[in-house]
Amino acid sequence: MRNIEFIISVVVTVGAAFVIAMWVPTPDHDPMKKVQLAIAYGMLVLIFLFGFLVLAAIASGKIDISQLLSEVGGGASMSRFQLLIFTFVIGLSFFLVVICECKFPEVPKEVLTLLGISASTYGVSKGIQAGSETKGKG
Amino acid sequence: MPSPFAFAKWEGVLLLAGFFGIVFWKLANGSIVLDQLFEGDIRDRDPKNVDGYSTYVSAGRVQSFLVTVFVALYYLLQVVQNPTEFPRLPAEMIAVLAGSHALYLGGKAQAMLIGPLRDFLR
Repeated sequence: MRNIEFIISVVVTVGAAFVIAMWVPTPDHDPMKKVQLAIAYGMLVLIFLFGFLVLAAIASGKIDISQLLSEVGGGASMSRFQLLIFTFVIGLSFFLVVICECKFPEVPKEVLTLLGISASTYGVSKGIQAGSETKGKG
Repeated sequence: MPSPFAFAKWEGVLLLAGFFGIVFWKLANGSIVLDQLFEGDIRDRDPKNVDGYSTYVSAGRVQSFLVTVFVALYYLLQVVQNPTEFPRLPAEMIAVLAGSHALYLGGKAQAMLIGPLRDFLR
């Protein structure tokens, strides 16, 4: 079995959903609510385990991110670096806004512009590199 | 038993913190290569350079790095101070960022494309 972690995640998820469905009490003892809770917690456990698997694989080197900022010609790429920074910043901001407001936030055009500039810079940089003779630095 | 929302919140915190932590840790210990971040290629007819290019410290990259870090920190501080909505960025700041990236790309295009184009037209 190649993806034993995947199987373990699914088994743990089903187990967690079963435990919640069987033993966790709901305030009004409504069976429908119990099923909803079991599915909700089951999905949350599954997403967490999948995320954890990816993180563990990155940390152990099974998923190699050493070339995350590197270009074909060698050396780190500024266009990749700035895209990484802005992705982190917008991702973290999105998470903070969602947990503070408990709803999907309205995304202002400035954020889209920011990400657009960042991603376009990366795209154009790749285009320049592809159009040149040498496999230069990004 | 925590509510599904609280569960999801802490799950998100753990996964995001873990992901950011791993990436920063790998950046700090050199597992993710940052060598030559500020260096660009420029055409050099010196016969010692086999591919016709040599490496130099690029001012375009340095200014792009500084502007990127400044805008990212500014945005992050705005969100931390008021995390109820996405902050509005001043149009001037977006223009400066766009200009900075255009400068970087212009320098790169000039260094990598203009020379070969000139050779082609000659």
